[in-house]
Amino acid sequence: MTTGTQGWHADPALLASYLAGDLDAVTGASVEQHVSRCEACRAAVGHLLEPQLVERTWAGIRDAIERPPLPVPIRLARRLGLPESTAVLLAAAASLRGAWLVGAFLSLSFATLAAYLSGGTALAPFLLVAPLAPVLGVATAYGPRQDPLEALVATAAYGRTRLILLRTIAVLVSVLPVTALLGLALPGPRWLAAAWLGPALALVPVLLALAGFVGPRAAATVVLLGWSSVVVASTRAGLDPAWPVEAAQQGAYLALAVAACAVIAVRLGIDRRRGVAL
Amino acid sequence: MSTTPFVTDAALVAAVADKDAGALRELYERHGAWLHARLIRRCNDPEVVVEVVQDTFVALWKDARRFRHDGEVGAWLWGIAFRRMVSRLRSRKDVVLIPDWDVPAAPQQVLPSAEDLVLLGVEYGDLAAALRRLSPEFRSVVQAVVLDGLTTKEAGRLLGVRENTVKTRLHRAKAQLRTALTEPQEGWR
Repeated sequence: MTTGTQGWHADPALLASYLAGDLDAVTGASVEQHVSRCEACRAAVGHLLEPQLVERTWAGIRDAIERPPLPVPIRLARRLGLPESTAVLLAAAASLRGAWLVGAFLSLSFATLAAYLSGGTALAPFLLVAPLAPVLGVATAYGPRQDPLEALVATAAYGRTRLILLRTIAVLVSVLPVTALLGLALPGPRWLAAAWLGPALALVPVLLALAGFVGPRAAATVVLLGWSSVVVASTRAGLDPAWPVEAAQQGAYLALAVAACAVIAVRLGIDRRRGVAL
Repeated sequence: MSTTPFVTDAALVAAVADKDAGALRELYERHGAWLHARLIRRCNDPEVVVEVVQDTFVALWKDARRFRHDGEVGAWLWGIAFRRMVSRLRSRKDVVLIPDWDVPAAPQQVLPSAEDLVLLGVEYGDLAAALRRLSPEFRSVVQAVVLDGLTTKEAGRLLGVRENTVKTRLHRAKAQLRTALTEPQEGWR
């Protein structure tokens, strides 16, 4: 096909009406086919196009290629469909970093190992650690000391409540599946593998509710001591190793969670200022 | 070809593969404008066209190594650009991906000169007239597969028909064109 076109070039007027969309489909397609193969006519199209448009497009390309690649967790979150801003906010949380996750995973593994080796008589380590891992994760996910973005968060027009809940969900998503898998390795009845979820999910709203009054650190300390004393006391009293997660106790956790959610909701309703309740 | 460039497109792509931003800029200067012009004929949203052109060159920056040095850089870039536009616009019904052949050409202030018409005629023979006689279904298939270089599968997705339908229509369209032309043109077989 090139043999017939070598000496021929579309004249500027023809190209101009092509660009303006004035040519009918067949002539347009014909010009198009020629331009896509002819260097001189490609350059001529370049001269006819608005320079601002050409530069604006290039500016976008340059920005995209000069931007440093995003860290892996952010790209992962982007893959899952989160907007980039949310992904960056999530990745900044201390408890969503690799080191924290590895630490949580290791302590859970050791607790599971202890329970496994004892053949079910020493469930306490697992029951102690499993519900606390998400709680501590949430506690370190925000707050003035832990958050590298705190100065930004404090001044940005971005709901603190939203940020905290977002990070809470992210922490739960990152910790709970691992804990659930490890729970499967526990000796004893099958339901034990899921039973720790009750206190784990109840303690998170309790933490959030307390943190609204005393800040995340103090709240985390209170929850940690409270839960530890329940587990340790039950062991000391010679109760069944699974006592802290039996049905009656689960009811109590549920009540506690409902109460904590109510406190948060009431405080949100009383004072609508951003982030005061949490 | 008075302005034969010192560096070929393929050499520039190789330089882009080595992360040479200057080579990318040069390729953009050579190919950005006509890609723009060709895409805008297929999409009435200028913002989308700008984004697709940007995506195309960012993809070139990332994947320059994938260019197999056996074809034209321009055709390769068009393939990237048009496929991106098709996938981006799959969910949008308000944009046109296939130029409408039935709209008569707007009254042209600037008609192709007689010489141009003759030369276009030399290239295509009676093809233009034959193309105009095709039914709309056949034309859209010819447009998508022959002119825009989609595979029959992609064309099927774009046109909302099955791949086999595309193949059949393409086959018939070519047969019809062949009978319309006394001598089949090269490249249409």
